[in-house]
Amino acid sequence: MAAIATIFRAVTYRGREGQIAWMLHRVTGVGVFLFLAMHITNIFLMSFPSEVFNSVLVFYHSVLFKLLSVFGLYLGVLYHALNGIRVMIVDFWPGAGNYQAPLWRIQLVIFVLAFVPSAAIMLSRMF
Amino acid sequence: MQAQSFARPRRSGNLERTAWLFTRISAVVLLVMAVFHLLYMHLAMGMDAISFQLIAWRWQSPTWRLFDLVLLVFGWLHGANGMRIVVDDYVHSPVGRIVARTLLIAVTATLIVLGAFVIFTFKSPSPSALGQP
Repeated sequence: MAAIATIFRAVTYRGREGQIAWMLHRVTGVGVFLFLAMHITNIFLMSFPSEVFNSVLVFYHSVLFKLLSVFGLYLGVLYHALNGIRVMIVDFWPGAGNYQAPLWRIQLVIFVLAFVPSAAIMLSRMF
Repeated sequence: MQAQSFARPRRSGNLERTAWLFTRISAVVLLVMAVFHLLYMHLAMGMDAISFQLIAWRWQSPTWRLFDLVLLVFGWLHGANGMRIVVDDYVHSPVGRIVARTLLIAVTATLIVLGAFVIFTFKSPSPSALGQP
């Protein structure tokens, strides 16, 4: 219930850069965490004969999962990483907190510049 | 404008402070290692190349095993520590918190043991059996 209330407040509360940055950081963090749980469980299957691991890979090699790996996992990790750098700059650089909003906009520009070409290469290799 | 640091110094021996610091230290490690791992597997290798044979080929090298082990421990603990904060934000009842935290600790212990187990015990097939992945 608390989560539903939070989502409602997030939509209706007119927060600015800081709130959006925080929300995306949390969503991408939880998403990558859930992927990691699946990923570690999968890699554990390397303990069994190769057929076991390779049969699970059918799921990983599906079109849906390939798209999710770029627009879910890679996008999420990249946002979380860049936003994490901004959080650390604000934490450790005296005065940087006054510029958190412009820093976030710079961060988005870097995100687009890094994501678009690398995602294009990943997609072109897949399809 | 008054320059101020948001990193408030606190006394040592504080769990929250240690967790806060760990989040940032592991973040720096993951910035290099997790991003490299993702780009290596998805850009350099490509998703279609990922197979038992590719990982077996990688795990012939102890360096790669150590890399994966550090990634496992730092990556999962960074995530689990984040989830601890998420749980605190959304789960308010004392019973719910005990259940959620116990679950988180149990999953953490299980996944780190399973992951470390396979990294340490995996027997590489002979290089000729692997061929070129």
